[in-house]
Amino acid sequence: MKKSISKMVAGAAAAALLIALLPLDLFSQETRTLILGAYTVPKEAYQEEIIPAFQKYWKEKTGQAVKFDESYVGSGAQARAMIGGFEADVAALSLEGDLQKVVEAGLITHDWRIGPRRGMVTQSLVVIGYRPGNPKNIKDWEDLTKPGIEIIYPNPKTSGGAMWCVNAIYGAGLKTTELKTGKKDYAYAAKLLHDIQKNVKVMDKSGRESVTTFERGVGDAILTYENEALLRQFEGRDFPFIVPRATLLIENPTAVVDKNVDKHGVRDVAEAFVQFCFTEPAQRSFAKFGLRPVLPNIAEEFKQKFPVPELLFEMDYLGGWAEVEKSIYGPEGAWTKALEDIAAGK
Amino acid sequence: MEHSIAAVQVRPSAKRKSWKHGAMTAGTLGWFLILVLLPVAALLMEACQSGPIAFLRGLQGEAAAYAFWLTLWTTILAVVINTIMGVLLAILLVRYPFPGKTLFDGIVDLPFAVSPVVAGFMFIVLFGPQGVLGRWFEAGGIKIVFALPGVVLATLFVTLPFVTREVVPVLREMGREPEEVAFTLGAGRWQTFWKVTLPTIRWGLIYGITLTTARALGEFGAVLVVSGNIIKRTQTATLHIHQEFTDFHYQGAFSASVVLGGISFVLLLLTEFWKKRHKL
Amino acid sequence: MPSRSGRFALSSDALIKAAVFSYVGLLVILPILAISFQALGQGLGKIWDDVLQPQAWFSLRLTFLSAVAMAIVNAITGTAMAWVLVRHDFPGKPVVNSLIDLPFALPTNVTGLMLVVLYGPVSALGKFLKVRGIEIIYAQPGIILALLFVTFPFVVRSVQPVLMELEKDIEEAAATLGAGRFATFRRVVLPHLLPSILTGVALAFSRALGEFGSVVVVAGNIPMKTQVAPVFIYGEIESYNPRGALAVSLVLLLSSLIVLILLNLLQRWGRERGT
Repeated sequence: MKKSISKMVAGAAAAALLIALLPLDLFSQETRTLILGAYTVPKEAYQEEIIPAFQKYWKEKTGQAVKFDESYVGSGAQARAMIGGFEADVAALSLEGDLQKVVEAGLITHDWRIGPRRGMVTQSLVVIGYRPGNPKNIKDWEDLTKPGIEIIYPNPKTSGGAMWCVNAIYGAGLKTTELKTGKKDYAYAAKLLHDIQKNVKVMDKSGRESVTTFERGVGDAILTYENEALLRQFEGRDFPFIVPRATLLIENPTAVVDKNVDKHGVRDVAEAFVQFCFTEPAQRSFAKFGLRPVLPNIAEEFKQKFPVPELLFEMDYLGGWAEVEKSIYGPEGAWTKALEDIAAGK
Repeated sequence: MEHSIAAVQVRPSAKRKSWKHGAMTAGTLGWFLILVLLPVAALLMEACQSGPIAFLRGLQGEAAAYAFWLTLWTTILAVVINTIMGVLLAILLVRYPFPGKTLFDGIVDLPFAVSPVVAGFMFIVLFGPQGVLGRWFEAGGIKIVFALPGVVLATLFVTLPFVTREVVPVLREMGREPEEVAFTLGAGRWQTFWKVTLPTIRWGLIYGITLTTARALGEFGAVLVVSGNIIKRTQTATLHIHQEFTDFHYQGAFSASVVLGGISFVLLLLTEFWKKRHKL
Repeated sequence: MPSRSGRFALSSDALIKAAVFSYVGLLVILPILAISFQALGQGLGKIWDDVLQPQAWFSLRLTFLSAVAMAIVNAITGTAMAWVLVRHDFPGKPVVNSLIDLPFALPTNVTGLMLVVLYGPVSALGKFLKVRGIEIIYAQPGIILALLFVTFPFVVRSVQPVLMELEKDIEEAAATLGAGRFATFRRVVLPHLLPSILTGVALAFSRALGEFGSVVVVAGNIPMKTQVAPVFIYGEIESYNPRGALAVSLVLLLSSLIVLILLNLLQRWGRERGT
């Protein structure tokens, strides 16, 4: 009996110790916490330069320390997480469509499009990466349809990056036919998409994971953000890529999530952080990590690094995100049909 | 006469037997080698190829430290809770008949058969801010999903059946007699449990605890869905490995993989070793 | 005295039962009910439509077929492994016996990583396979390989104890009566082992239906080519399409339930046969 009592006491002590080690938040008066929900691609830019720079800036301005909780997952997955309860104070997503979903869920109540650069904090392009030496002689979209070429890009369901890539293929098809004949050939664009998708070998969950897969030797070509390729080159890896003649301008939005900042009482910090991302030092950091800056003078500074493709088009060329949800990803959409046809052996 | 015929018969069959015998052994072990051991060896090689210092450096960093600490803490919690509950469940299922017992038995086993992503999804449906229970927690300002409670719940769910499954057969084999004998000798319930039941189910229990630990350490799919992958907040060791790999930090991913897998494996080995020593 | 301890015993009994029931209720029953009601709330017709969607349907087919292939292979190799461990002798046997549990010890995404490291195009083996046009990783064989890895111990550990208890006398008796080794195995030993083999297979099968971590790393996940049901569900969840996720999740849940019921029946059969 005594033995079991002493065992119980030991158990209670262990439990108490366990509870004491609980990862509880000990907020000091001086520390504010900002939760960032971002897509995978700008991780280095934020972690290594922009966040530390902002922390310094805020400290100097208000004397407060800012702690950052960061999450980097595929853009679609991140939007889903926010709608599902992830209380990010700042949403930095890959595409407008994902941010709109967060708006529709009632989390963002201000018009994020008003303001510097219509809410877009960085830009990039859809590019085609290939193996050193270009053994498969890839020069443009058509080359990706050749039989025997293996392509990598992520899954549009989870990755914003994938949507940019698929949209770029479709749009390139439209743009090049429009240039030739004066009219957009939708059938040609759909066929181009079909033929390229046929050659896709792996579809990862996010843009970043795609690059990892490509690096591990899978595939002859990868469709990715220009900045991913530049980042790898910046880190000393050989990552040759071409900017196709006709390609899509990627624009990445960032916004304060109203519901959460008011709940956490960090509106001032969050708004300051979002604005900070549009300032020159932040824009320079983005450029350093391969993301195209949106401030004209910084863009000018980095103009050598970021050439402008001849037939650049934007999302409105394709009718905007809402249209594309139907015409490309809907049940009768070009991409959906392409997958079905490929599975049926066509 | 018969004796010599029998002798002649035995020798050739003995030779044939050993050839087939050896081939089967070699073939089966070869399969095991290629299927299981080779990939593990490849991982070890990749992790260690740059030397021990690089290996350790791969484990450096606040994100890694936090992830391991979170996984450790979650695992301990899951083991403690599910061991207690598991034993109680086993006793309930074996000793106390009640209507719907077979169904309940199946329900206890259910987490074992549910896909981890479905498990995570279920918790989001139930405890998310729009969920049936979630909205009450939300109103009370308590976050479940995309926060630590969600991670703990998901881990508790996937590790629930192990202790029960290992203890139930042992308990059943033991039968009621030892306990009843103890009762008639005047022992109380608690005493009976500690002195009679527990020692008998000991090995099943320990194996169940080891399996629970290994599962909790290695849970991936459910926490991927339910945690939000918040670095240094809800990112577990497995999620950290995933992050490292996709961030091109291969050494970090491999080092952490070896450590995480190694802990579980060592625990399993210790259980085997301990068991053998005791049985001798 | 007796009545006092009797009352105490009754209330602690009830307390324990209440604690256990509410724990299982909150942790298991409630979530499953929540997801089932959410799915069924759409109406059975809608669920069926969602399941028949080409991508959903294909992922379910691929999952089941891969699991069946894995189950067949594991039934044979797992039994053989248990046999070799129990009846044969070789150097290092205790070591091998411990190593069997390795797949249980490894996190699933680590398993995936290992297979990619070993068979991916960067490795020596990967290059060798690529040159010969053999596709393992990022193709359907890779899925089955991952499943074989993570479920390997199930059949082995299920059969081993039964085999150990099986009296050798039965085998030896059959042998002296002139039966060949394989005939002995088939007619005498196998019937005794069958319940445990099937138990192991059922466990492996139900695990394989839901396997995510290893497959998602290794498979390539091309919709309608290498995308299994759990990966499809994940994609639907993450693109905020809970309906599609719910329908396929429900199918997987029901399948698991059926396998579990079969498992329970099997175990009861095994107990009745006795050893």
